[in-house]
Amino acid sequence: MAEVNLKNLTKKYGDVVAVQNMNLKIPHNEFLVLVGPSGCGKSTTLRMIAGLEEISGGEIYIGDELVNNKEPKDRNVSMVFQNYALYPHMTVEQNLGFSLKIAKVDKAEIEKKVTEAVSILGLDDLRKRKPSQLSGGQRQRVAMGRAIVRRPDAFLFDEPLSNLDAKLRTQMRTEIKKLHQKLKTTVIYVTHDQVEAMTLADRIIIMKEGFIEQIGSPIEVFNNPVNVFVATFIGSPPMNVIECDVITQNDNLFIKIDTDVLMPCPPSKKDKLLKSSKVFVGIRAEDIVPSENSTDLEKKGWNFEKSIELAEPLGTETQLFFKLNDKEIISRMYNPRVIQVGEKIKFEVDLAKIHFFDHETEKAI
Amino acid sequence: MVRKIKKITYWLLTFLVMFITCLPGIWIFISAFRPNAEILSKPANWFPDNWTIHEFTQMFSIKGYVSVPAFDYLMNSVIISLTSTVIAITIGMMGGYAFARFNFKGKNTIFLGLMLARAVPGISLSLPLFILWAKLGLINTSFGVIIVYVAMNVPFTIWLTDGFFRQIPKEMSEVARTDGCTRLQAFWNVELPLAGPGIAAAGIFAFLLSWNEYALASVLTRTIASKTLPIGMMDYLSEFTINWAGMCAIAVVMIVPAVILTFIVQKHLVSGLTFGGVKG
Repeated sequence: MAEVNLKNLTKKYGDVVAVQNMNLKIPHNEFLVLVGPSGCGKSTTLRMIAGLEEISGGEIYIGDELVNNKEPKDRNVSMVFQNYALYPHMTVEQNLGFSLKIAKVDKAEIEKKVTEAVSILGLDDLRKRKPSQLSGGQRQRVAMGRAIVRRPDAFLFDEPLSNLDAKLRTQMRTEIKKLHQKLKTTVIYVTHDQVEAMTLADRIIIMKEGFIEQIGSPIEVFNNPVNVFVATFIGSPPMNVIECDVITQNDNLFIKIDTDVLMPCPPSKKDKLLKSSKVFVGIRAEDIVPSENSTDLEKKGWNFEKSIELAEPLGTETQLFFKLNDKEIISRMYNPRVIQVGEKIKFEVDLAKIHFFDHETEKAI
Repeated sequence: MVRKIKKITYWLLTFLVMFITCLPGIWIFISAFRPNAEILSKPANWFPDNWTIHEFTQMFSIKGYVSVPAFDYLMNSVIISLTSTVIAITIGMMGGYAFARFNFKGKNTIFLGLMLARAVPGISLSLPLFILWAKLGLINTSFGVIIVYVAMNVPFTIWLTDGFFRQIPKEMSEVARTDGCTRLQAFWNVELPLAGPGIAAAGIFAFLLSWNEYALASVLTRTIASKTLPIGMMDYLSEFTINWAGMCAIAVVMIVPAVILTFIVQKHLVSGLTFGGVKG
């Protein structure tokens, strides 16, 4: 029941900066996801909040309390680890009750809380088992149960689903979401999986090399990525980003997205692109689709023709691969049909949905 | 049929190997329970004609020793071995934990130093030790021997427990600490129980080393105040005769507790205790 507040949080390992001047306010009951490639500082941030990693600079507040110098045990946060870290010499119920036993809670109370946690997580039949007798999903549940029992101010999840197989991961993802709705506690969740981030988060933080690249709701981040990194990191398949020349022909501005393909510049971006000679163009796979799918040609307007290099049928859609400016482009074909390699297909692009990024800074224009 | 023959062959081979390994032990046992004359008889008498516990009664007639004060030697051995083992595993455990979990300056050098210390032959230290101990007044005291055995065992127990602590994922202690433990509580409640088999193994090795040690004890001990069983065995060696039966009897007194102890502790040596706590 507390908000978590990070002020200028910094972590250095010798000369290497893992987290740089991070400022973040996590309101009570928010589900916050830290996402980024490995080595971006997301786990370090989490471990600093838990107190497992010393901080090199800045302040951490949990509630109104400055916890910089507090031991992990005095911070009232629970952490769930990627490898579960269950106590192998204890049964499920001993694992769940351990924190209460250490806190010298009386036995009847421990029993009550363990029973409650066990029923929330559907572990009733497994109370007397040791971790070695549980499946991956069950172990994961026990690990979460151990966190729940303490009623912490904040839950910290460190890639909790990475060790599960794909099917179980989806299932546990839903369970974590439900659990959050039930418990109404602040959750800070670290993952490198952008699908997890999108589905779980109230707010996503995308990190890279110790810096926050963007903060926002999943939809915001998806629709308005602030730079090329975020654009390519969020979304599956990743956004197509093409390096293009900007040219003027007959007083009109065009983007040369391939040697023989000129795309008209959307009017809203004209002023901003006038000064640049090169630009990164970002188009999501769902915004560059075969025009045979489209019923309302005029609405989307602009199209071009390309021959297909590869087609991957996925059932509900087929992903088409071709090249623009020597860059591999993925297009989503809904209502799939059999595609021949080399077949020429007309693609259309919704100009309003194109992203432009500065050629130097890679920031959104 | 073929299977049965195979099985019998295995058993025979196992028996043969065991027989060869155990033969000296068996010979000691047999010899401990027969008169010295029979041991010396020629041609050799493979199996005793007269069973006797003469040597045992002689050495354990507590008041007024008839042969050798075996009870005092046994007590010295027990006290020296147990004390030095307990101290060595306590220090070893702490040292091993530190090497496994913390990073500090000169860590590798210190660890290498410890290992090199193990490589020095104990006997080469006997003379300097004797001079030093003589100056400190530690000759012929249990305390003096205990210190030496602790010093001999600590590098080994550190090395062994370090390996076991390394196998325990550090998340174990981290999760315990977020669960409300201090670092010490996390060690005590989680890491120590998990390292149990390793500590038991280190304990057995340290105990056996102290229990069997002869070279240094022969230099540092003098009388029943500190002599251990291996040194006491030499009491049966006199100028003109060797009492082989007595020697074998005291050897049995040495072997039995060591075997019993190993047997008890080996149950705890079962590894794989950590399995299942983390993703395997």
